[in-house]
Amino acid sequence: MAFKIENVSKTFTSKDNVEVLALDNINLEIESGKFVCFVGPSGCGKTTLLRLMEGFENPTQGQIYDDDELVQNPSRERGFIFQDYSLFPWLNVIDNVVFGLNIAGKDEAESKERALTYLDAVGLKEFADKYPHELSGGMKQRVAIIRSVINESKSLLMDEPFSALDVQTRHHLQKQFISNWASRQRTTIFVTHDVDEAVFLADEIVIFTKRPGRIKKVFTNTLERPRDRDSAEFRNFVVEITKHIDQTDE
Amino acid sequence: MNMNNKLSSKLDMLILPVILVIIWFIICDVLVLIPSYMFPGPVEVLQAFMKQLLSGKLFKDIMATLYKVLVGLILAGVVGISCGLILGWSKRLERLATLIISILRPIPPIAWIPFSILWFGIGSKPAIFIIFIGCVFPILVSTIDGVHRTKGVLIEAAKSFGASNTQMLTKVILPATLPYIVTGLKVGMGIALMCTIAGEMIGSSTGIGYMILTSTNLFDTGSTVVGMLVIGVLGIIFDYIFTKIQERIFW
Repeated sequence: MAFKIENVSKTFTSKDNVEVLALDNINLEIESGKFVCFVGPSGCGKTTLLRLMEGFENPTQGQIYDDDELVQNPSRERGFIFQDYSLFPWLNVIDNVVFGLNIAGKDEAESKERALTYLDAVGLKEFADKYPHELSGGMKQRVAIIRSVINESKSLLMDEPFSALDVQTRHHLQKQFISNWASRQRTTIFVTHDVDEAVFLADEIVIFTKRPGRIKKVFTNTLERPRDRDSAEFRNFVVEITKHIDQTDE
Repeated sequence: MNMNNKLSSKLDMLILPVILVIIWFIICDVLVLIPSYMFPGPVEVLQAFMKQLLSGKLFKDIMATLYKVLVGLILAGVVGISCGLILGWSKRLERLATLIISILRPIPPIAWIPFSILWFGIGSKPAIFIIFIGCVFPILVSTIDGVHRTKGVLIEAAKSFGASNTQMLTKVILPATLPYIVTGLKVGMGIALMCTIAGEMIGSSTGIGYMILTSTNLFDTGSTVVGMLVIGVLGIIFDYIFTKIQERIFW
């Protein structure tokens, strides 16, 4: 079991001292090597749970275990990919990509060589010397993903990484990511509010209720990869899941 | 066309100064409305400039002033940047230091002159001390500000790569804060020039400030104006250098 989430609740205190229950008694087990999507309306606490799993914050109640080890702090065993572009603006693409390897004290020349292989795989090799502000949103996010993936952490936690991109770029990156993921299958938790994206990517889809966040239902996605968005099964599954998602009127 | 525009807009900057010099020349040198011991004409200033330049005194005084400015600024930079990074990073330490900083910061550096002489006697040291006092606070405060403004997502990203506290400071916080540090140094540089002249006028026997004071005492007002203009030109040069540095720090 890669992740074991036991009775986890999280309360935030707002500025005017009002307590808001973001997550209410979450119990979930995630098997190693699975691709799991957290889906739910905005404000449902799915990102909060992901941040707790990384260890950026700690639960108000309950525990999270990563391979039987209590999660308390961020770890290089859990790569995290942010919704906002989180590249270091003062480093060029390749130096961004090797940042984690550098931190770990890996051989620099070797790291750069590996980085180039990774960049080549997503068509960004010739951008190795560019700085983040010279890249498009899609390119930045690809670099951010490579920067995490290259560390070969046990798991990857992704917080709506494609939500800021236009539809075409998003679909392209989903395809690229899933085909690379399929070849190594590391545990991946992917937060999204886009059911279509979840059905395209995930083995398991966890639906959250509106605040306070609770797990409403867990779907297993048995559609074969590579998945075809235009197939009837795909469309039907999307419709089926969408029925279970609370409407956000706020 | 574009080139011409650029050139003519640069020339625009010179129009007013040239007119001013002409008026100054007419008032002081042609009509002699003001006696030269009250204010010298441009001709006298030019003569004084040549005299100071040829005797080598001007160069020596500029070097003496620059030496103090740079030493003072570097000391203030080392202390201001390192304390700023630490105080910006640790909320606790910042709370401990904040009252002291708030009280010391508004004290004009000139007010430290008596102690600077008591502690350091005469020569370059008291001036360097005054410059240090004047520069350290803007550098400190803008470094702290820069640390506070470091994007949380960058800090979290580094944490997810397992960065230690030292790595966080050197690989994330310091580069993220660099633009603010340079702004602090730029502000500090302006203050440093101001403090140097003040310091040199009191406990020193070298530098532009000393030159301004002694020449005025000798009614050599031409040299006084030369000294003042040299300070202005030094200011422009430093400003230009820092602006170029700021252009290179694009994040």
